[in-house]
Amino acid sequence: MTPAEHKEQPLLLDVRNLTIRLNSAVGLVHAVEDVSFVLREGQTLGIVGESGSGKSVMARSLMNLLPRRSVTQRQGSVVLSGRKISALSERDLQKLRGAQVAMIFQDPMTALNPVLTICVQVSEPLQQHLGLSKSAARQRAIELLDAVGIPDAASRVDQYPHQLSGGMRQRVVIAIALACDPALLIADEPTTALDVTVQKQILDLLSRLQTQRRMGMLLITHDLGVVASRADIIAVMYAGRLVELAPAATLFSAMRHPYTEALFNSIPRITDPSHTRLQAIPGRPPQLHNPAPGCAFAPRCQYAQQRCHRETPPVVLSEPSVSSVVPVGHTEHVHACFFPVTRPVAGGAN
Amino acid sequence: MKDKPGQITPLQLRERDDIVLRIEHLFVNFRVGKQTVQAVSDLSLDVARGETLGLVGESGCGKSTVGRAIMQLPPPTSGKVLFKGQDLCLLSGESLRQTRTALQMIFQDPISSLNPRRKVRDIVAEGLQIWGRPGQQARVREVMEAVGLDPDAVADRRPHQFSGGQCQRICIARSLALDPDVLICDEPVSALDVSVQAQILNLLEDMKQRYQLTMVFVAHNLAVVRNVSDRVAVMYLGKLCEIGDTESVYTRPAHPYTRALLASIPDMNPLSRHQKDGLPLLQGDLPSPANPPSGCRFRTRCPNAQPLCAEREPLMQTVRQTEHNELQSKATDVVSDHFVACHFPLNG
Amino acid sequence: MPAKKHPKIESRAQKFARALQQVFGRGFGPGFWLAVFWLVIVAFCAIFADWLPLRDPLDPVIANRLNGPLSGSLLGADGLGRDIFSRLVHGARVSVVIGLTAVSIGMIVGGASGIIAGYFRGHFERALMAVLDVILAFPWLVLLLALVAFIGQSLFAISVAIGFLWIPAYARVARANTLSVVQREYVLAAKAMGASTSRILLREVLPNVIFPLLAYGLVAMGLVIIVESALAFLGLSVEAPQPTWGGMISEGKRHLATAVHVALIPSITMFVTVLSLNFVGDRVRSRFDVKESNL
Repeated sequence: MTPAEHKEQPLLLDVRNLTIRLNSAVGLVHAVEDVSFVLREGQTLGIVGESGSGKSVMARSLMNLLPRRSVTQRQGSVVLSGRKISALSERDLQKLRGAQVAMIFQDPMTALNPVLTICVQVSEPLQQHLGLSKSAARQRAIELLDAVGIPDAASRVDQYPHQLSGGMRQRVVIAIALACDPALLIADEPTTALDVTVQKQILDLLSRLQTQRRMGMLLITHDLGVVASRADIIAVMYAGRLVELAPAATLFSAMRHPYTEALFNSIPRITDPSHTRLQAIPGRPPQLHNPAPGCAFAPRCQYAQQRCHRETPPVVLSEPSVSSVVPVGHTEHVHACFFPVTRPVAGGAN
Repeated sequence: MKDKPGQITPLQLRERDDIVLRIEHLFVNFRVGKQTVQAVSDLSLDVARGETLGLVGESGCGKSTVGRAIMQLPPPTSGKVLFKGQDLCLLSGESLRQTRTALQMIFQDPISSLNPRRKVRDIVAEGLQIWGRPGQQARVREVMEAVGLDPDAVADRRPHQFSGGQCQRICIARSLALDPDVLICDEPVSALDVSVQAQILNLLEDMKQRYQLTMVFVAHNLAVVRNVSDRVAVMYLGKLCEIGDTESVYTRPAHPYTRALLASIPDMNPLSRHQKDGLPLLQGDLPSPANPPSGCRFRTRCPNAQPLCAEREPLMQTVRQTEHNELQSKATDVVSDHFVACHFPLNG
Repeated sequence: MPAKKHPKIESRAQKFARALQQVFGRGFGPGFWLAVFWLVIVAFCAIFADWLPLRDPLDPVIANRLNGPLSGSLLGADGLGRDIFSRLVHGARVSVVIGLTAVSIGMIVGGASGIIAGYFRGHFERALMAVLDVILAFPWLVLLLALVAFIGQSLFAISVAIGFLWIPAYARVARANTLSVVQREYVLAAKAMGASTSRILLREVLPNVIFPLLAYGLVAMGLVIIVESALAFLGLSVEAPQPTWGGMISEGKRHLATAVHVALIPSITMFVTVLSLNFVGDRVRSRFDVKESNL
């Protein structure tokens, strides 16, 4: 789909001003601060961030999967297909989970129950949400395993997770997620724990399934390379805030936020000759409790000025426009910086 | 028919005066329950002084095992590990402990590499204390400053108060305290944040220059390995597939597995997504290491596999680089540092 | 619009509380400190019993027989008219001494063998595990009977007998912790550095295993006290007339119908003590576990 076609699609997920604060042994942790974005049907939104960026916390909080006792504050709204799910009760949310929204996690080793067969685990959402009978669910399970590329699905379906390799297990996890044909798939670092050759296979599979089923996908990762080629829109998070959001092509050719630029420049490229000096980002990832005032990236930013240490930059449009207000439901390029990078990135996307 | 190990000198071993580390026909077997797993099978390679050898491969290929086997932790099942001409596998006890101080190792998880109950100062000084080297205080200060830590701020604290990147710096300082000749890095940046990885990689380069180190860099991230290595060795299921000069291996891979690995790397070009994929370069799943395929171990996933591949294990052969000589208008073979173990190497 | 934050003016008490929190960490609730307080009292009684202004615990005053609490003396008198309160205080000594000695024996012998087994593996480990299995398979009461028959019924003898019973538990805990420590990369790094085996055991393994052992020690002490009381019930504990809590319960069982306080008071005391030991032991263990990882 071209960017223009994307804009026509109906709104699937509308997140506004999401803020989450958690309890911890060291104090109140500002895990997610004022994050807003939208996702349309059939689109893939890639969320990129390192540890402490808040991306995983945010992904889990969309479906209210965070441990209840640790969440101190939760503000903002999450609207799925026009329905405000941030205000739903637990019981109503349970009906949504697995049916409208599915989630896959990082570690395929622990995502599956070791004492239940694959058949039982894949059938579970089918029986619970779609009300299929046991035999009908089993049949459908075999079809699903086939669709995710597991060879010899009819006999594999009765095996236990430990009899499958990591890549296979992740495919089973994907099959479970897609069992009820969800409208939205949240993939939290789905390939980080896998070998690079298997990674490619799994990502290809996800792209193919997404196109087939016109699903929206939230792809969360720390790997810029993964989102570059798979996401339509990319959101970059740092210290719980959204620092830049742009269509993939725009982000790589005209990035605005210093963090995005620094991240891009610090990654070793397969095409660079050996012993290329890397442009490292000085300092270390931010601590999320007792955040200092001002921009969280300022201590590490080479362009930082006085203002950056005092005020937190709001999210603004990257292209000059008549109004400075960021329209809702946009897929424009936005960033949160007082002194954005304006020159084109050296080397661009190659 | 497999050639008996020890009878033929593998082609990829170079005859140079400055070879610091030389591994010959290394085998490392593990007992897992009733089965024996050949984690490393008939591996031979060498590292010259001042070189960085990158050891690359996916999970189960045995690269981490090679690193530890070099350090004799634990000693390999058979084979030779020649350090400056001396076979470490023949040493034991006190002499091994003493010789081994010239080889140091850095591990993947920086936090579990440090004893949580000890102060950083004691951790870094550990080696010096064991061997009673003089000038401990000064040396500890020197290495800590070299790795970018402020000794006064850091020395009296404990590891759990530091981030992953800082812990890895402490580990590097600890390894450098004894002034080793060889530094073996086992996935040193895999557990670190992306923004910190570059710092540590630059630091390792700087330390290598400053302390004249020879490095063996084990990792699964191909871009990282390319960045640090002079030579690269690719492993699959315990076997060495390809080894050679970094530039050569990365731009003109000769082994189908190397090619598949390189093609799997996500491309940071958002425009490439709309291109159709060609023939799959890799199919199927990783076979069980306890029961590897006969002949070439990669054949079950190789798109070019032939019946010969199941019968015989391929031996290392030189990769021919042909250069067209403009004047004489004929192709001449150039001596290259590039070897591959394949019956049907690519471009060849 | 984000709300403006006003700088809080902390009172001195709040500052002090925060400093305490930074030293001890959060999570030590009021329950913990109550338990510690109780244990301090018990220890105090054990040490200073002889110097406290109490009635003679061994002095039978028949006239006071089976007096209820708060009639005459604080907690009443037992079947022979002896003052329950002072017997309780003196009895603490037995419990504390037996608890500490038995746990120490278990920790030193069991802990050492567990660490060696966990580090060296191989034949020693197999032999040790076999021996431990045998000891554990024996009904512990029968074992104690045999030991007591052998060594006698002095305070020391009982402590050793119960301590022997605790060796398998400690060996198991020590071995399990050693196994997990040995797998950590800092042990490998120490080996690579050229550290000798004894150095690794003392500097790398022991400091990391000792804390779980000590934490388990507190819990084990509670169990030892209970075991001692069981022995007392059978008349096998420290001989009369030295008061022990278990002995007091045993003597009181005759009067359950008429004067329940004689058995109830020592029972409650033992219950609270064991509970406090468990609580403190558990909290201490979790406190030291947390320190190992970065948040």
